Amino acid sequence: MRRLKHGACLMAFFCLSNIPTFAQEGKIDSSNVVTLRIDPQTARGAAVSQIFDEVKFVPLETTKESLFGQISQFKVVNNSYLIYDYDTKALLIFATDGKFLTKIDGSKLKSDKNDKEKAQFYGFTTEKENNENYIIIFTPNNVQYFSFSGKFVKKKSNKDYKYSNEGKFEDGTTVKQNFYLKKGVDSTFYQLALVRKKTLDTVAYFKNDKKKFSNDDSYSHPMFYKANGDFGFYIGSHSYDIFKVTSQKVSLAFKLIFPALNSLPSDFITNPIYIKKRMEYFDKNKKVFIGIGAPYLLGDNLYLKMSTIYWDKDQKRNVIYNLKTSETISFQDLEPDSLSSFLPITDSGFGYDFENRGFLAFEDGKFYTSYSALAMFTFKERSAGKTIAYPPLLTNYFKTNDRKSNPVLIILKPKQN
Amino acid sequence: MRSYFFVLLSILCFSLSQSYAQTTAPILGTIKGIVRDTVHNYVLKAATVSIYKADNTVINYSLSNNYGEFKFVNLPIEQPLRLDISNVGYKTVSKTITIPKGQTLLDLKTIVISPQDVNLKEVTITIPPITYNNDTLEINAVAFKLDTNATVEDLLKKVPNITVWGDGIITVNGKEVKSLLVNGKQFFGGDNKITLQNIPKNALEKIQIFNTANRDNPLDSNLVANLKLKKGKDRSYFGKISSGYGTDNHYQFDGNLNFSTPKLQLSIIGASNDVNKIPDDINTLMRNSTYKGMGTSVEYQSDFSQAGVNQGNVAGAQMAYNFKPDSKDWDNRSSLTADYYFKSLESTNTGDVQTITTIANNNQLFSFNNNSSFNTSDRHRFNSIYNYYKKKHRIDLSQSFNLENGNNSSNNIRSAQNNEQQLTSTNNGISQGNFNNKNFRLNARYNYQNYNNWKQRFKSLNASYNVFLTDNNNDRTEITAFKDLLNNANNRNFNRRYQTNNKNVTQNMSLAVPNLASIFFGNKHLNGFNAEINGGLTLANNKDRNFIEDFTAGQYQKNTYLSNNLQTNQADFTPGFTLSKSFNKRLSNRYYKSLGISVTAAQQFIDQNNQSDRSFQNIKKSYSNFVPSIGFNGFNQQEGNYQEDFAVTYRTTVRVPNINQLAPLTDSTNLYNLQRGNINLKEELARSIDFNFSHYDMKNKNTLNFSFRSSAGIIDNDIVDSTFIDQQNRRNVYLTNASGSKYANFSGNVRKSLKLKSSELQLSWYGSINFSKTPTYTNSLFNFSNNIYANNKISSQFIHKDKLAVEAAQGIGTSFSEQTAFGSTYRNIILTTSVSSNYNFTKNIALGSNIDFNNNNPSVGQTINFTIWNANATYRFTKGNNSEVKFTALDLLRQNQSIFNFAGVNSFTTSTRNVLQQYFMVTLSYYPRKFGSNTVKK
Repeated sequence: MRRLKHGACLMAFFCLSNIPTFAQEGKIDSSNVVTLRIDPQTARGAAVSQIFDEVKFVPLETTKESLFGQISQFKVVNNSYLIYDYDTKALLIFATDGKFLTKIDGSKLKSDKNDKEKAQFYGFTTEKENNENYIIIFTPNNVQYFSFSGKFVKKKSNKDYKYSNEGKFEDGTTVKQNFYLKKGVDSTFYQLALVRKKTLDTVAYFKNDKKKFSNDDSYSHPMFYKANGDFGFYIGSHSYDIFKVTSQKVSLAFKLIFPALNSLPSDFITNPIYIKKRMEYFDKNKKVFIGIGAPYLLGDNLYLKMSTIYWDKDQKRNVIYNLKTSETISFQDLEPDSLSSFLPITDSGFGYDFENRGFLAFEDGKFYTSYSALAMFTFKERSAGKTIAYPPLLTNYFKTNDRKSNPVLIILKPKQN
Repeated sequence: MRSYFFVLLSILCFSLSQSYAQTTAPILGTIKGIVRDTVHNYVLKAATVSIYKADNTVINYSLSNNYGEFKFVNLPIEQPLRLDISNVGYKTVSKTITIPKGQTLLDLKTIVISPQDVNLKEVTITIPPITYNNDTLEINAVAFKLDTNATVEDLLKKVPNITVWGDGIITVNGKEVKSLLVNGKQFFGGDNKITLQNIPKNALEKIQIFNTANRDNPLDSNLVANLKLKKGKDRSYFGKISSGYGTDNHYQFDGNLNFSTPKLQLSIIGASNDVNKIPDDINTLMRNSTYKGMGTSVEYQSDFSQAGVNQGNVAGAQMAYNFKPDSKDWDNRSSLTADYYFKSLESTNTGDVQTITTIANNNQLFSFNNNSSFNTSDRHRFNSIYNYYKKKHRIDLSQSFNLENGNNSSNNIRSAQNNEQQLTSTNNGISQGNFNNKNFRLNARYNYQNYNNWKQRFKSLNASYNVFLTDNNNDRTEITAFKDLLNNANNRNFNRRYQTNNKNVTQNMSLAVPNLASIFFGNKHLNGFNAEINGGLTLANNKDRNFIEDFTAGQYQKNTYLSNNLQTNQADFTPGFTLSKSFNKRLSNRYYKSLGISVTAAQQFIDQNNQSDRSFQNIKKSYSNFVPSIGFNGFNQQEGNYQEDFAVTYRTTVRVPNINQLAPLTDSTNLYNLQRGNINLKEELARSIDFNFSHYDMKNKNTLNFSFRSSAGIIDNDIVDSTFIDQQNRRNVYLTNASGSKYANFSGNVRKSLKLKSSELQLSWYGSINFSKTPTYTNSLFNFSNNIYANNKISSQFIHKDKLAVEAAQGIGTSFSEQTAFGSTYRNIILTTSVSSNYNFTKNIALGSNIDFNNNNPSVGQTINFTIWNANATYRFTKGNNSEVKFTALDLLRQNQSIFNFAGVNSFTTSTRNVLQQYFMVTLSYYPRKFGSNTVKK
C-alpha cells in the first residue's frame, strides 16, 4: 500500500510537469488490427534450446554489504545491473559478471535540517545529463543524483525536476502518461500524449474521467511499454487490446480473444454494475484474465503475459505467440535442457514471481529474470544427476554459496526467426 | 525397574531387525521412465504413475517430477506388474511389464501419453490411486481394494507414505496433517479418531490433501486433509451397542448413535459400568464408544488409578448445526453446537492417610486418618456455543448450565502422635449430608475488524460480557469427638447441623479500542507505533445464608455464633492504556522476523463491602494498585526450514483478601483444623514473568518440533498460613502477610518423527519442573520451605505397516520439600515404565497387551513396587465386521494399588486407597453403520 501511494505521488508529480505549447486530441488508427485467438491452455512446450540461443546464470555476489532480498526494479545501464530492493530499501549496483560494486543505502541518505520527512526512496531512474549517466532517486523532500560509483552528486527540489524519461523516440518525441489537456480554464484528462519535439505540438489519446480512480477501483492500470525498436505498446485498464505507439500515431495493433472462461465481459469497463464490485466479480470468476502485462514483439514472436487475481498453478499465463504460424508456446512448459544446465529458466513450479511479474527487463536483445538462491538449490536437487558439469560460474556458486545467498539473474537470448 | 525397560526395548529391536532381514532377502528391481505428451511437446509434471500386482493391489504410486521422470524401487523381479500412467485430460496408459531375471533396472524410456478427446465420453479403465489436481493431492478411495467393512483409517494405512499414529495424528511423508475435515467441515467434534474409524471407506470418494501455508513460502508446510464423501453419503448414521459381563459380577453396557446430515450432526450416548470407565465429559466417552478399526493403538481401558469402587451411569447428547453449510469462507459462518451430559456415580472409598508434619527442629507430629465414605451424585451439564461471523463482524456466544445434587456420608478415625510416637489425641467423626448446586455461565464476545477498507480510520473494536451465577445449598450433620489423651479436660464433643446457602452473581465487562494510531493519524506509518485504550469492570455480589444448630439438651438448638447472613459486594475496575511498537525485517525467500513490544499502564480499583449479622464482619475495604504489564513477542520464519515464536510477558496481579480470610466465623467441630482470620491482611501483589517458545518444523520429512514454557514470580505480602499446633495435633490456622514468596516453573516437550523403510518411529519427551519458596509460620517459628516437583517422560512409538504397533515409555516423577528453619527434608520418587503393543494377526483377529511397572520410593516408609498387566483379544465377524467379541483380562497379576505420596510445604503424606483390581470380561458389541440413503433394489 505504501509503495502504491508513493507511486501515485510520483505520478501526480510527473503530470504537473506537463506544460504543452499546442495540444489536440488524436484519432486512433484501427485499420490494420489483427485479431488473435489465444487459448493458453493448449500452448505447446519446447526445449529451452529451441527458443533461446543462450542461457546465462549470473549469481549476484553475496557479501555482508551486498545481501538483499528480491529484485523490485531492474535496469541494465553502463555495463552494470541496477537493482532496487524493497526489503533493504537500497539500490545495489553489480557488474555484469555479478560482482558487487556499490550500493545506495536508503537508510544512509543525507537529510537537511529543513527536510519535512525522513529521506527514503522506493525506486529509481537513470538519466544522461551532459553526457554523464546519473542514477536518480526520489525522496519525499527532493530528487537526488548519484554517480554510478554510488557517490552523491547533487540534489534538486521536487519542483525543479522535470521527468522526461518516459518513453522517448529517436526523433525526440516523448510519450507522456496521465496527461491534462487544457482548454481555457477546463482541462481534460488523457491516458497518453505524444509531445513532438520537432513540431512542438502535442496529441493526446484515450480520454478518461479524471475522478475515475477515486470513484471506482481498478486492478489493472493503463500502461505504456517502450518496446525494442522505435515504437511502444499501450494497454488500457482491464483491456485485451494492444495499441502500437510510434512518434507519429497510435494504432490498434492486436485484439486478443481468450476462451470464455478466461475473458472479462465486453462491457466490464463501461457497465456501471461493475463499479466498486470488480473484486466481487474476480472472486466469482477466478480464472478470468484481468489484463495483460508488458508485451514484447521479436520478429514474428509476440511475448504475452496475462494477469489473474488468484494464483492458479495450472493456468498458463506466459506465452509466446507466433504471428505467422499461430503456434503458442507456454513458458511453464519449457523443458530445461543442457543449454540451461537442466535448470529451469524461471521460478515457475517453485514460486510465482515470474508468473506474476514477467521479465524484469529486455535489453540488447536479451531477457532478464531472476530467482532466489533457495529456488536455485532446490532446482539443483531436483535435477540431480542430469548435469555432469555446470559452467564455472555455477560450479563455483554451488560450492561457495547457500540457500540464503543473493538471488541469481537469468539472462536469456531468444533465437532470431 | 529401568532394566525392565531396556530388556523389553532390546527384545523389540531384535525382533524388528529379524523381520527386516526376512523382507530384504529376495532381490528387488527398479523401474524408471519419462512421461511425455508428444502432441503438445512437453513432459508431464505430476502425472500419476501407479504400479499394481497381478491381482490389482497397489504396490506403490508416485507423481512424475519436473522433468517428467518417475522411478520405483524395491519391486519384485520376474513377476507380471501393471504400470498405469494417468493425468487429468489424458488417456490412461496401461502397460504390463516384468523385470526380467538377472536385471535390477528396467528403463521404460519415454512413454507417450495422449490428450483425451473432450468430445468422447471418458472411458475410465481404472481410477489412479492418487492424482494431483491444482496443488491438491487426491487419494481416490476406489483404487484401493479393501474389504467392504474397511474404514477410512484402514484405507490410509494402505496408502504408501501416509501414517496414522496411535494418538490419531496423521502424517504424509512425515509432515503432520494439521486438520482433518469431512466435506470441508469438522466431523463430530473434530476428533481425528472418530472420523477415521467410523466413516466406511466405501462412503468415501477421495481424500484431498492440500497445503494452506502462505503461498509466498513455497517450501513451507501446513497440511489439511479433507475427506470428500460420495454424493448422497453425507447423510449417515453410525453407532455402537455393547454389553459385557465379567468376574466378580463386573458389568459394562454401552450405547451410542450418531446421525449426520449436511446441516446437522447429532449424537446420543449412554454407558453404565462398574469398571472405572466413567469419563467426565462427553467427548472422551464419544471417542471411546464408536467403531474402531482393528487398530494398533492402546484400547480404552479401565482407569486403574481411580480410587474407590465406582458404579456409574452416563448419558448424553451432542449436536452441531451449521446454518450456512455451503459457505467455505472463514468470514461467513454461522453454527450452533450444544451438548448435554448426565453422570450419576456411586462410589465407595476407603483409605489410610499418614501425615508427618515438622513443627520445630527435630520435632515432628504424626497424624493418621482412616476414612471410609459413600458418595452418590447426579450431575447434569448443558453447554452450547453459537458463532456468527459475517465479514467484519464476529459474535461468539457460549453458555454452560450445571446442576448437581448428591449425598455423602463419611466416617473418619483420626489420631495423632507426638515426636516420641506417643498417642496424644483422637478425633473421630461421622458426617452425613446432601447438596444441591446450580450454576450458569454466559460468555458473549463481539469483535469488529475492518482492515480491508484502508480509507476507513476506525479499524477494530473488542467487547465482551460474561456473567456467572451460582446457587449452592448444602445440608449436613457433623458428629465429632475429640479426646485429649494427655488432658481429659480438653475433650470436646460436637453434634452440629448445617443448612447453608450461597448465591453469587459475578458480571464482567470489557471494552478495548485497539489501533488508535489509525483513528488519529489515518494510514500514516508512525514507525510501527500504535496504541490501545481498554477497560475492564467486574461486579460481584455474594450472599451466604447459614443456619447452624447444635444438639444440646436433647434437641437441636440454633448456634447463634455460626448462624449468619453475609453479603459481599465487590467492584473491580481497571482502565488501561497500551502503547506498542512493532519491528519487522524481511529478506525475501530467506526470512521474516518480527518483534512487538507493548507497555500497558493500568490502575486497578477494588471496592469491597461486607455486610453481616455479625458486626465484626461489617468491613469496607478499598484498594488501588498500579498494575503495569510489559510484553515482548517475536516471530522468526526461516523459509523452507522452520518457524519460531516466543513471548515474554511481565505482569502485576493483585489478590485481595476475602471476608473469610479477614474475619471468619470459626467452626470448631474439627479441632485438627481451626480456620482463623486476620483483620489486618493486606492485598497480595504478584509480579511475574512468563516466557514461552515454540519451534515448528516446516521441512518435508522427519520433523522435529519442540516448545517450552516457563514462568517465575515474586509475591509480595503473600497471604500464608501461620499455624499453631499443639502436641494433640490441634491446629489453629491464622493467616498473615509474608514476603519472600517465590516460584519458578518450566515445562517443555520435544517430538521427533522418523520415517524408516517400511515403518515409522516417533520419539518424544515431555517434562515439567516446578520450584517454589514458600514462607510459613509454625508455632510462631518462621520457616522457608523449598519445594520441587518434577515430572519427566520419554516415549517412543513404533509402527510397522498395519500389523504391529509398540509404544514404550519411561516416566519419572519427584516431589521434594525442604524446611530450612527445621533442617528437615521430604522426598518421593515415582518411576513408571510402560510398554504396550498391538498385533493384528488377520483382519479379524487382534491381540493387545500393555504393562506398567510402578515403583514408589518415598524418603519415609517403604518402597512399593507393583505391576499392572492387561491383555485383550478381539474377534470381528459378520458381514461388514460389524460384530465383535472381545475378551479382556485386566490387572492379570492382581497387583494394582493406589499409592499417593506427596511432599508438602512442611509435611509428608503417604496414603493408600481401595481400588479396582483384577477382572476378566467378555464383551459383545455390534456397530451399526450406514452412510448414504437406501438404494432401491432392482
